[in-house]
Amino acid sequence: MKLLDVLQDDVPLVPRPWAVIADRLGINENEVLERLGRLQETGIIRGVSPVLESRRLGLRAATLVALRVPGSRVREIARIISSYPEVSHNYRRDHAYSIWFTLAAPTDERIGEVLAEILERTGISEEDVLNLPTLQKYKIDVRFSCCPDRDEVESREPD
Amino acid sequence: MNQTDIALLREIEKGLPLVSEPFDELGDRLHLSGAEVLERLRCLRVEGVIRKITVRINQRQIGITANAMVAWKIPEGWNPVEYSRFASFPGVSHCYVRTPVPSRWEYTLYTVHHGYSRDRVLTEISTLAQETRISDYIVLFSTEEFKRVPAVRIGENGGDLT
Repeated sequence: MKLLDVLQDDVPLVPRPWAVIADRLGINENEVLERLGRLQETGIIRGVSPVLESRRLGLRAATLVALRVPGSRVREIARIISSYPEVSHNYRRDHAYSIWFTLAAPTDERIGEVLAEILERTGISEEDVLNLPTLQKYKIDVRFSCCPDRDEVESREPD
Repeated sequence: MNQTDIALLREIEKGLPLVSEPFDELGDRLHLSGAEVLERLRCLRVEGVIRKITVRINQRQIGITANAMVAWKIPEGWNPVEYSRFASFPGVSHCYVRTPVPSRWEYTLYTVHHGYSRDRVLTEISTLAQETRISDYIVLFSTEEFKRVPAVRIGENGGDLT
């Protein structure tokens, strides 16, 4: 699991990056590649890839939307929401507002269009919607501790 | 940034190849040398297009099953400098300020927390509440993940990128 901690740093832009990571861990390059292959096959990782800066790539508008939806319709509505490329995160949450998703687009107008279309297709009324546009990001750095202390592992809840 | 850079980003977002010289491999697919691939990626890194190159972990698969977003109601007149206390609090992965919906949803600050159990996450959140003296907040645990992809994807929303 130490490998996952090291890989959450920036992967170096050198001809043989896996060898550099192997050095840091005191193992050899082949072992790093084998372990990564296994982690990917078992679905523990989704690969190693760049995190891109949304504003530098023209995505200047973003929002978080919550919908108050009856439990029986959550999955059907969630499927419609997820089909939009502008949607990157879509979750069911423990609350009367049961669906929460993020939208990003080049302009506020485009965000408005997508949201209006989703409401139209699902028949959800405005009073059951919270539209919470992003004003400022203070932190966006997902980092998981992959070496939990023993006590944490033991108190782990079943999935 | 030009079309070659876009093509390169589209290729690398599928995942850095798991071979000894992954940038050579990317170059082969795009008819570029490995050295040129590296040079372009370094430029994109310096320009801030690439924030970092990192592993994408399926946190539920390593037992991190308690994931919560917390919406905090920040009193008027609060010093925005204080937001950094939320952002830098250990365990907070995301911290955003958002426009509220007046009289319906007055929460403006959002933090995201991950843990091996709900109890752990709730303890972390109540410690943060005590330290910041913000007592009005809602904990929103996720119970189902419908979609989680990077917000910026060249392959999917690359048509409009400039």
